Amino acid sequence: MTTHVDPMQSLTAALVEVNEQLLVLYQLASITTESLDESEAVAAILEKARDLLAADLLTFSVDGDQVHSTDQLMRRHDDESHDRAPVGRAPNRTSVEVSNGRLTGSLYAHRDNRTFGTADHKLLTAIASMALGAVQTSRHHHETLEGAVARRDHDTASELAQLALPTWRPELPGVDVFARSDPARAAGGDLFTFAVLDDVLHFVAGDVSGKGLPAALMMTTVISAATAAFQSAGTAGPGAVLETIDNWVHKYLADAGLFVTLMAGSYDAGSRQLSIASAGHGPIFYIDDSGPRSINSVVPPIGVLPLSDLGPVEDTVLAAPPGSRLVVSSDGFTEQEDPAGQMWGEQRMLDLLVDSNLPATELGGLVFERLESYAGTAEQTDDRTLLIIRATAVETDAHG
Amino acid sequence: MDITQLPLPSEQSTASHAVELRLAGRFDAHEVDTFRAILGQILDGSGSGAATRVLVSLAEVEFIDSTALAELVRGMKHCRERDGDLILVSPSDPVRVILELTRLDLAFTIE
Repeated sequence: MTTHVDPMQSLTAALVEVNEQLLVLYQLASITTESLDESEAVAAILEKARDLLAADLLTFSVDGDQVHSTDQLMRRHDDESHDRAPVGRAPNRTSVEVSNGRLTGSLYAHRDNRTFGTADHKLLTAIASMALGAVQTSRHHHETLEGAVARRDHDTASELAQLALPTWRPELPGVDVFARSDPARAAGGDLFTFAVLDDVLHFVAGDVSGKGLPAALMMTTVISAATAAFQSAGTAGPGAVLETIDNWVHKYLADAGLFVTLMAGSYDAGSRQLSIASAGHGPIFYIDDSGPRSINSVVPPIGVLPLSDLGPVEDTVLAAPPGSRLVVSSDGFTEQEDPAGQMWGEQRMLDLLVDSNLPATELGGLVFERLESYAGTAEQTDDRTLLIIRATAVETDAHG
Repeated sequence: MDITQLPLPSEQSTASHAVELRLAGRFDAHEVDTFRAILGQILDGSGSGAATRVLVSLAEVEFIDSTALAELVRGMKHCRERDGDLILVSPSDPVRVILELTRLDLAFTIE
């Protein structure tokens, strides 16, 4: 006896099945989750998908790590049987794998009473893709959030580091001081600081190698060391101040793979004695009626070699009458390029300093103004720091 | 900047595990990562054994900034920690001026 299959009946059954699948796809597409927690988002999708598939268990994993299972107890039970009977061989359990290039998701499904057909596999693949998309969205959100928090922390740390630079300026008879530092980024490694002890002005200016927050954090350490060194070694001269700072920070800098070019100086307005010592920092110009001169470094930057290996750091001592000025800048001035890539250079700066015998604040403002004009649209590639110490007349000078 | 790694004559290289790096162009903050990676490979000895003596030829370097100088200092310290050295060879005039102004000429071996 042969079984006759009515073609119309078969066609109708196929149409009904297609219709049901479309309905299921519609319902699947209507699953929405507002949760940005990947486990919650995947749970919402799997719980809905379990109903659509009439599945007893759905488990979704990403890169081998389970994100969610619709039934923990059943999952454990099934994991054991899963170990014994590989997926794909038993008709009432199956798994699909999807990948988006970055992540790979695996959806494992189990149904007690029905096998999985081709249409089920397509549906499982769609569910797995949807779950993987939810995981990626969640992870992207968290990465963005973490990035924002890190940026905020970085910005806060940068602001704190810049606060180490003094906002006050020494007010002492016989001397006029300008100091300004413009970092190329939120934080920079350029530094200056002062102290007035027994009517003598002590100062340092420097540049920590590297850029950004690491250099800025090291800068704060050097400022602290300098402030202490003024107290303990200031009377012995700037060379002794550099040696003292080196004693304290050399290992710290060396371990961090950084160095700091640093100059130290002192000015006694009573005796008109200006003393300077530089560890790799410059350019430093001294200008008086006889013309300009460069003050050269006597030792390498702090952090390169222990200064104690090189013997005492010698001071350059000058008699600085009223009108004379010491100008210390960082390489962010001389190496600033114009839009054509031409550097400002030392000569342009020196010409400006010689031609402009102005009070320190006006001269400093003029140097920054000229540099910014020269740079034009060119990017500021390095921190710019300028320190000007200008000797001025005091009452005793005027009458003496 | 161009960095070329050259094998040294076998006598010299075998005796001291030496390598020469020839730098050309601008050596600044944009180039230090490349230099660090190449020097790291040389000092770690990936391939033919670690070198402890690195000759850095600076004859064709047109400009060097403080970040690049810091990288040379870092390399020099790493070599010396391994009982070797990083030697600056034939620095160009602009590089020599910077080395003298910063007094880094006191810290490096310059040939």
